Amino acid sequence: MKIVVLIKQILDPRGITVRRDKERVFINREEYILDPGSKAAIEAALRLKESGDSTATVIALSMGQPQADDALREALAMGCDAAYLLSDRAFQEADVTVTTRVLAAAVEKLDGADLILCGRESGDTGAGQIGPRLAEALGYAQVTDVYALTAQDGRLQATRRWGEGYATVETMLPAVITIAPAAFPPRYPHGARIMNAYREWSVPVWGASDLGLEEASLTPLLAFRGESFPPPLEVGEKFRGDPARVAQDVIMALKQQLISNI
Amino acid sequence: MDFSFPKEYQLFRRMVREFCESEVRPLARVIDREHRVPHETIKKAAELGLMGVPFPQKYGGMGGGEIGYCILAEELGRVCSSTATVIGAHIGIAAMAIYLDGTEAQKQKYLVPLAQGKAIGAFGLTEAQAGSDAAAIKTTAVRDGNHFVINGAKVFITNGDIADIIVVMAVTDPSLGAYGGITAFIVETDTPGFSIGSLENKMGIRGSSTAECVFQDVRVPKENVLGQFGAGFLTFMKSLDIGRASLGAACLGGAQAALESAMQWARAREQFGVPVATKQSVYFMIADMAVEIEALRSLIYRTAWMIDTGQPHIMEAAACKLFGSEVAHRCINKALQIHGALGYSRDYEIERGWRDQRITEIYEGTNEIQRIVIASNLFRPYGLRIPT
Repeated sequence: MKIVVLIKQILDPRGITVRRDKERVFINREEYILDPGSKAAIEAALRLKESGDSTATVIALSMGQPQADDALREALAMGCDAAYLLSDRAFQEADVTVTTRVLAAAVEKLDGADLILCGRESGDTGAGQIGPRLAEALGYAQVTDVYALTAQDGRLQATRRWGEGYATVETMLPAVITIAPAAFPPRYPHGARIMNAYREWSVPVWGASDLGLEEASLTPLLAFRGESFPPPLEVGEKFRGDPARVAQDVIMALKQQLISNI
Repeated sequence: MDFSFPKEYQLFRRMVREFCESEVRPLARVIDREHRVPHETIKKAAELGLMGVPFPQKYGGMGGGEIGYCILAEELGRVCSSTATVIGAHIGIAAMAIYLDGTEAQKQKYLVPLAQGKAIGAFGLTEAQAGSDAAAIKTTAVRDGNHFVINGAKVFITNGDIADIIVVMAVTDPSLGAYGGITAFIVETDTPGFSIGSLENKMGIRGSSTAECVFQDVRVPKENVLGQFGAGFLTFMKSLDIGRASLGAACLGGAQAALESAMQWARAREQFGVPVATKQSVYFMIADMAVEIEALRSLIYRTAWMIDTGQPHIMEAAACKLFGSEVAHRCINKALQIHGALGYSRDYEIERGWRDQRITEIYEGTNEIQRIVIASNLFRPYGLRIPT
């Protein structure tokens, strides 16, 4: 079984402050990390490989800036068998339509996949569109927001969120699955694999020409026209003094607020 | 000149930091209170290759060298000195001795399981009357056919009671003294005649065990002589040299933790209507801590780089241990002072840090011994011998 995991590198949110009053995002520390949703997708792929088909190969794909190489090497360190970076100056303005096109071309260059996994949404833009759009582009089945996953005899069982509960669905392969991050807490990468990911293994870079994509097909349909911010949060009431007394005051205040909200 | 960490080390540090925050920190207080070794942490660390960080992958190690090992020691020292001590004695001196002087067969048999964390190692040098004066050991090993028979007792042995493999120094020829008369042996602790005496009830690093190891007619095959026969003292000194760099790294982590907690507290704690961080008496202390920590960090990683590139490093490694333990002492002391009365409370981490730190000025060669090592190296080119 060939499992492709789509991963994304994002700006570490711990290094960002959103100032609603100034209507600006401040980048205090420009550090990039592997998106937590992507880590969960990698974890789901590795568990499938470990629990059933040990001959499965897990291939990580990422479209991004050259520095996304680090995210792919982290994917290798976690246990992926191969990793490819899709990077080209022509991809820089990509919207979700173009991104889907590039990813689909990469999957086709890999001669297709049995299973494509990705996070339900990314930790930065959070659009949640890549999985469903890619499934449409490739003509694969799709299941979104998946909490549990088993594969057997060319069929896939997936448990997904359904209203207040869960539904288990079955699909033929190939399929695209988007993963609920909380359901697959990722493993730590093994130390030796971290060393090898940088010293021994390579991450090939595929550009537009490698993927057979013409420049005209890379024109985005959407243009970014600026950002706006919700109003600053109202500062709540501050209680001071004797802890027992403060606790009582807080409970009273919460009760009153509940009553006034009814 | 490039002072940045290669990317594999950056990712490694991030992994170790997450591991320490999620797996080690939550246990730090518990194991200190319960006076027990965190076996569950050791198992998890082994699964990630952390019990063999510096050693080549062909010996079951991670291939991270001394730089990687110092990163591990620093991050462990930042959250739990006990865990840093258990893993430090295992990697830094026990497995290290076999890596440095073991034969290929010994490495396959002993270093591989140690590096994989399937076996735990200890380093048996100190005896009741032989501490700083390490060459004064009384434990003997007497040849008997294809075996050596070891008799004696080692004290203050970190991991002594949890070790599967202990590297031991014993007198093989009393007439020859330290150089020629002392040999190192690899002993499996399930060998008949090996037993544990008393366990130390320590002031700090209470999550690590410190045991008396007794050898009563312990028969060891001659294949288990480690290094050259009669050159055991050198084997031990070489291991200790390298161990000192990583010990300094653990101190660096302890000092860093002290700085972090002092800064956090100084911003939150208000007196005279302002955060105490705005008081000169406090922020001067914090500035001094930051400067010493930065100087220590440079010393540690430069020394680690010297070790990894095969350069002479005895003096630098001694400096790591000496400066590291004393910087940690000053930083934790200042952090405790900034915390005021709460810093003295058992409910705050700084109190444990203070107790844990104190041993670093004593074990693996007292700071006085480190000064002797440094001074000897400084004066040697002038033909001046520093007496011990």
